[in-house]
Order: sequence, then C-alpha cells, then structure tokens
Amino acid sequence: METSSHKPGSKPYPGALIVVEGIDGSGKSTQLYLLRRWLEIGGYRLHFTEWNSSPLVKSATKRGKKERLLTPTTFSLLHAADFADRCERQIMPLLYSGYLVLADRYIYTAFARDAARGCSEVWLRNLLSFAPVPDITFYFRAPLDVAVRRILAGRPRLKYYEAGMDRNLSVSRPESFRMFQGMIMENYDGMVERDNFVLMDGTTAVNKLQKQMRDIVEQRIDMRRFAPKAKEAVSE
Amino acid sequence: MTAPVDEVLSRPGEAPPPEPEMAPQTPIQERTGAEDVGTLGLPLVGVDTRDLKGSLIVLEGADGSGRSTQILFLTEWLESEGFAVRTMGLRRSALVAEKIDFMLARNLVTRRTLALMYATDFYDQLERSIVPALRSGMVVLADRYIYTLIARGAVRGLERPYLECIYAMALRPSLAFWIDVRPEVAFEREFKKSNAINYWEAGLDMSLSSNLYESFIIYQSRIRAELRHLAESQGFIAVEGEGSVSAVNKDLRQRIASHLGIKPGRYTPSRALEPLWR
Repeated sequence: METSSHKPGSKPYPGALIVVEGIDGSGKSTQLYLLRRWLEIGGYRLHFTEWNSSPLVKSATKRGKKERLLTPTTFSLLHAADFADRCERQIMPLLYSGYLVLADRYIYTAFARDAARGCSEVWLRNLLSFAPVPDITFYFRAPLDVAVRRILAGRPRLKYYEAGMDRNLSVSRPESFRMFQGMIMENYDGMVERDNFVLMDGTTAVNKLQKQMRDIVEQRIDMRRFAPKAKEAVSE
Repeated sequence: MTAPVDEVLSRPGEAPPPEPEMAPQTPIQERTGAEDVGTLGLPLVGVDTRDLKGSLIVLEGADGSGRSTQILFLTEWLESEGFAVRTMGLRRSALVAEKIDFMLARNLVTRRTLALMYATDFYDQLERSIVPALRSGMVVLADRYIYTLIARGAVRGLERPYLECIYAMALRPSLAFWIDVRPEVAFEREFKKSNAINYWEAGLDMSLSSNLYESFIIYQSRIRAELRHLAESQGFIAVEGEGSVSAVNKDLRQRIASHLGIKPGRYTPSRALEPLWR
C-alpha cells in the first residue's frame, strides 16, 4: 500500500500535502502564507504545519540550541523527533481524514541542512523515511546574495546554529551564515530531480510568483475535494 | 503509519535506491581487546573514533534481569582494581533525559517520536561523555545499549533496518553481555522493587491485555525474543541471570578480567553494597 503512494491517485489517504522548501530568505514562507490565505478565504479544509514546531519536542530543541549542546547528530535526531510527533499526531491523521496539509519546510530541510553539517545522506534518508511523499514540493530559489541580504536586513543578530557557527566556517557570523546557506542551497539543487521539486524563482515579483503557485496547485490537485460543502454539492 | 525507505528514496522509473552502506558486522567475540573501538557501520559525524583506547562493556537484559545491580558491583570492583569507570544508560543525557521522563509520565508520545527521543538521548551521552571517556582510556559500563532500544522499537512495529541504520554510528562494544531471566522471574523482582508494576515495563501502551500480569509477560517475552536474536547475531556472551547476584557477578568478572588482561582475583563488596550481595 505505502510503496505505491507516490503514484498519483494511488495514495492510501484522500488528503494532499503541499510543501515549500528553500534557504532562508528565498521567499518561501511569504508565498506559503499567501497560498494559505487564498485557501482560507476560499473556505478550503486545510491545516498548516511548520518545521520544528511540535509542542512536545520544541522546548528540548530550544534548550539544546541555547546551551549549545547539540552536535550534528543530536541536532538532526531532535528535529526528526519533532517531525515524527507532528507526522504521527497531525499530518498523517489529517491526510487520512481528507485534509489539504501545507508544510513550511519538510524533510528536505533536514536532508539539505544536516548534510551540510556532515550527516550522511543514507542515514538522513533512512531517519525520515516514514514521511509521506508530498503531492507538490515547491522549491524557492533566489541567488545567495539576494537571500542573505534579505535575512541580514531584518535581523539584529543571527543565532549560533542558524549561522552554522558549529561548523567553524568563519568567525564572522554573517560570513558563516552566507557560507552555510550556500552549502544548503547546493544540497537543495541536488535534490530537484530526484525529489520532483517544482522550481520557483524567488526573485519574481511576489504577486506574480503567487499566481504561478496557485496555478500549479490547481493543475496538480483536484481542489474540489477540499472545497467547502463539497458533499452537499454532490448530493444535490 | 510507516513507509519503507524506498518510498522516499525512489521515484517511478528510476533505479532502485542503494542499500544503506553498512559495513559487514564482525561478531564482537572475534575482536581482541587491543583493537580500537570503532562504530557499527557509519562514521560518527564530526567525531574521530580511531584513537579510542578504553573498553566499552555492555550489559543488556530485560527489566528485572539484575543488570543495574551488577553494574554497581562491577564499578566497585574495577575501581578497586585501579580502572577509571564511566557508566551510561537510558535517559541519562543532559540534553533530553528530563524531556523523556516528562513524555513517559504524560503518555503523550507516539512510538516513533519516543524512539527518536531515546536515540537523541543515546547519542548525546555517546558523543559528549562516552567518547571522551574512551579516549582517555576509561572503562565504560553501559547499563543497556542500542540493543534494548532496537528491541523496544521492533516489538512496537518499527522496522528493524530503520532502527539499525539510526544506530549504525554507535560504537561497537568491546564486550557485550546478555543477562537473561524468564519474564515470570522478572515480574516478581520488578514487583518487589516498588510493590507495583510500571506502565511501560508491562508494555501497556501496546494494548496487549488488560490483565497487568499477562501484559507484562507477553511484552517482556517479545522483548526477550528480540534480545536473544540480537545477542546471537551480534556475538553477545549470554549469562544466566536467575542465579545469585554473587554467582552472576563472578561470571561477569571472570570474562571482563580476561578481556582487560588482569587476574580475576578475589572481590569482597564494600559495606555500602553488601545488602545487595545475595
């Protein structure tokens, strides 16, 4: 049953999963927010979930970061535990109950970022192998300089792990951040074909990019399944 | 809801995914004490494990097997022999031990999340406590190791290859013991400890039986079968755990002494530990 769930129409659940990925500053969260607003205003049955947000696990990750206790392996495992909690208690049950699930970052974040910390790809792919395959994975890509400038402009100070300071790339946080994001972007680029990413140009005007995103969603997913009062419409 | 590795790894029309790159596992008994402590398969990220000189001695066994008691005596004996000892166990990491206690107490957590929290707990101890200890030549006594964690996940339906791959960066034990007791004996021992049976030790999360005794026996029998399988395939030394504490301890000391290249000698427990010496 599960082995064929990546084929269109053969998933074991009636829901659908839309994912956005990309480095910090690529515009992915803004675009997913706008997609979400469009669907919310339209009354669609949907659920939104963010990376690293499980109420059960999050505080442990936060403490580990604050006290700098995390190694590449424990960083990765804690984020996997967080994802497992959301996957088993939110994402999977909602997909089975016919929801449209939107995820701001998904397992590809772990593949790209934790690999940049030195974790082996085989190990990472195994670790998160329980994740359902998304119906659409939007990969937002902006030139490194553009993305980094967007982040640096809005932050008083980059956080230790966010800037990849644990990798000893540079003593300067902005410089380390830039190099770390570059490595992550390379890893994302390597996944485009293998993981069926839909490439989105993060330098396109926000409203035009959102139009593209909505068009792709409507092309690929039968949105009537998630529309309000779908059942009544059928029965009338 | 679980999906096999190849669901994420492969796409229709593509070549099948590569097998996880696991080094062929050498049974522990074929190794000698002089060899460096390496990992079970994948390299431990960011940690050089080539120059670890100490000994990693693992004691596995179900709840009520007498493992922790044996660790107390072994620690005292090794220290009296002049060895610096460090211990590890489950839920002892600085990073997430309290968090796991919280999760277990609330029973909020699903099996996979719990398995991954235990993996975090394991690697935190391994990387920040055990590796430095071995590098400085200490003897590490592990009160349970990855094998219990694999067994617990496997009886709850998590895939064995999934669990084995997660722990492929764990250090290979220098010496591993499986202390075996029948679940019926373990039940009595565990009950006497606190005049009750612990929710998780009875596997109540698995809804095996509403009869607590039955649930304990079924659950612990499944754990025992998993551990037996692991012990046999990994070359553990099986120790019959239903004998007296002193008899089991003598057996363990002889094996460990021979591994460390010392004479087993006589050992008399300190007054502090005497009450446990039966």
